[in-house]
This record gives sequence, structure tokens and C-alpha cells, in this order.
Amino acid sequence: MSSGDKTASTFRKPVKFVSPKTVALYGTLTALTAAITMATFVPFAPTKGYFNIGDSMVFFSALAFGARAGAICGGIGSAAADILLGSGYFAPYTLVAKGSEGLVSGLIAGKKMDRKWITAFGIAAGGACMVATYFFGELLILNVGLGAALLESVGNALQVVVGGTIGALLAHYVRKAYPRLTEQ
Amino acid sequence: MTGFIDLYTEADTFIHRMDPRVKIVAVILLSLVAFLLTNLAYLSILLGLIMLLVYLSRATFSRTMFALKFVLRLMALIIVLWPLFDRSGTPVLASLGPLKITEPAIWRGLTSAVRVGCLATVWYILMFTTSQRDLVRALVKFGLRFDYGLTLAISLRFFPTFLSTIESITDAQRARGMEIEKGNLLKRSRNYVTVLVPAIVSALRTADTLSLALQSRAYGARPDRTYLREIKMRPSDYVALSVIIASLVLPAIARFVFSADI
Repeated sequence: MSSGDKTASTFRKPVKFVSPKTVALYGTLTALTAAITMATFVPFAPTKGYFNIGDSMVFFSALAFGARAGAICGGIGSAAADILLGSGYFAPYTLVAKGSEGLVSGLIAGKKMDRKWITAFGIAAGGACMVATYFFGELLILNVGLGAALLESVGNALQVVVGGTIGALLAHYVRKAYPRLTEQ
Repeated sequence: MTGFIDLYTEADTFIHRMDPRVKIVAVILLSLVAFLLTNLAYLSILLGLIMLLVYLSRATFSRTMFALKFVLRLMALIIVLWPLFDRSGTPVLASLGPLKITEPAIWRGLTSAVRVGCLATVWYILMFTTSQRDLVRALVKFGLRFDYGLTLAISLRFFPTFLSTIESITDAQRARGMEIEKGNLLKRSRNYVTVLVPAIVSALRTADTLSLALQSRAYGARPDRTYLREIKMRPSDYVALSVIIASLVLPAIARFVFSADI
């Protein structure tokens, strides 16, 4: 694509649209986040009602494709899964919690999969954002009481540990199995 | 697997025919009403009203029960746990060491449970009566950029596809002798890596093909795109909208202007 050609530029994609590659990638990653959350659903945490490894996809998106992918795919995908699994009232909190989780871990550790300590720190910081958002959202806005909110935080922290481990492993293995990943 | 791929139920009620934008606004405003009310009796009336709307949306019994299952469990948990952590007020009904249960705490727990119940069930009116396609359309009409709307539509479209992909990969790995349900929670979760890696690679391949398909259909060629089906506000939608707005504004005036105890 030459930049100076005027006749060609009328047919070219205007700059204001997101590229089709990004639209397709983000769309599928969001769907995959929701699907994995739903497929690995284990009824566990009392308030929200389930434990899942959907966090691993949030971390995977953030680590492999950067902060923007982590925030968008993690936030929207997890919120959609919440709605479909029957806890729709949690969707707004999930959007913020998982979105910030993906954003923060992507900002710190995005696309730096070779450095283990940065990856671990990014996952921990992102996970802390998620647990804190849920805790304060439940305590201050939903007002479920301190007991229920604390109980939920324990489940969330466990979810971060499990999801973070798997997410980091996924980023590593998928890059081995599908080397084109690094080109995107 | 628990849950539904799509909560939408096909029917022809007045809620189904309503403009999706009005329904989205209604859900937000009714949630605000739930935060506005502090009296248990009025909150119960609101909960009853929401349940009536859920009933009028003609959702099947199994769907309604599925929706209520989590809500009822959460409400029960709040009612039980609230008095244990809230020790203020008199009279004290029972005490055991540092633990004491007071009467006002029980009422506060009950109020909070009913409020959470309202917030939780009001969603289902929207989800039961609006197709995913209409939801995305309404969001685009609200000013969500078209390309973001398309991303959302793609993800909703591929969600059931990936769900079945994950299931068949799980079956394939089981056939090779992997035991997913074995071990403790951490071990079991790590077993899922063998399922997730093929699933992600297959999803990324889909994304590649999809981007080619988008390009071949001249995605983003013209900024002034047109739509096959436009959503329009009908007179009945304006009536519904004004009723919903009144149901927020009237209690708000009663509380903040006349400082009534609601």
C-alpha cells in the first residue's frame, strides 16, 4: 500500500476503523474467555456461586497480546459469561474487575513472556486489582455485608493463583505450538 | 455444563416488542430505584413488581428457576451472615461470647438481601426478552462505535462454537487417557492446560480466517455505513420510557425534596 496514491486511498480502509485483524482477534478471544469460563465452571464461591479458570484467559490475553487485549477481552468476555451463567447482577463489577486485571497485568508484563519475575509480578498486581474491585464493589455498592464479601475474596484470591499459573503456562505453550502468535 | 448459551426466549409480549434501548434504560433506572429505597416494605413492593415483569415476559419455568437459584442463595447468605458482623443496636436477642445478634441488624440484613434480590432479578427482564442481535444494535445506537459493536457481535456468535470445540477437545484428550476430574483443585485446573492450548490455537486460526473474510467483504471501506434493519422508537416506547422515568423521579423527589422516609 503506497501512501501517496490518491485513487487508491479512496478504496483503502479509513484510519478511524479498527483493523479487521484486531476485530477478528478480539472477537474470538472474548468468545473464548466466555466459553472457557463456562466450560470449567465449578460451583464453589458462595456469593457469586462459582469457581472457574476464566482468569487464565484474561492473563493469557494480557500476556500474549498486551494491555488493551487483556482489558477488552477479559472484561467483556467474563461479564458475558456472568450474564449467561445466571449472575447478571455481577456483570458490571466483573467488567471493571476483570478489565482492570487484564489492563494492569498487561501493562506490567504484556509481551514480555521471557522474564519470569515480571510476569509473576504482573499477574499478582492484576489479581490484586480484581480481588479489591470485587471486595469493595460488594461491600460498598451491593452492600452484601462484610462476611459475604470476605468469603468471596478468599475464593477470588484462589482463582487468581490458579488462573495466573495456567495463564502463564498457556502463553508459554501456545507460543511454542503456534509461533505466528508473536507476529501479531 | 450449567447455564444457557442464550437466555433469550422467543415470544410476543409487550416487553419483547419494546425498543431494546428503552429496556436497557429501564434496567439501569430500576437498579437506581433499588438503591434509593431504604424501607423494607417498599423494596419488597419493587421486588414484587420486578418478579411480575419477569412473569409477564413469559420465560419458561426452567429458565426462571435457573435465574433465581443464585439469587436466592445469595439472599439467604446475606440474611444469615449480616447479623454476625453487624453488632450495633438494641435489643440484643442472643449473645455468645463476643458474638451477639441484635434485632435491628436482622432487619438491616433482610433489607439488604431484598435490595440485592431486586438488583439481581431486574437483569433477567432484559436478558429474557431481547435477542443478542438487538442488544448489539441498541448499543451501537447509543453511540458505541460500529467496529466495537461488530467485535461484540462476533464474540457472541463464536461463543457457542468455542464451547463445543472445548467439549470435543476434552473428549479427545479423555480418549487418550487424560483424567481431568482427578486430583485436587490445583491439579485438576492444571489438567485443563492440555485442553486449553489446542482450543486457543484453534481460536487463533479462526481469527485469521475471520479477518480475511472481513477484508473480502470490504469491512470499513466506507465510514457512512447503512443498516438493513433500523430500530425506531414507537409511541408506546415513549409511554413506557416516561413511566420508567416517573418511577425513579417520584421516589427521588419524595426522598430529597420532602425528606420522606422511604
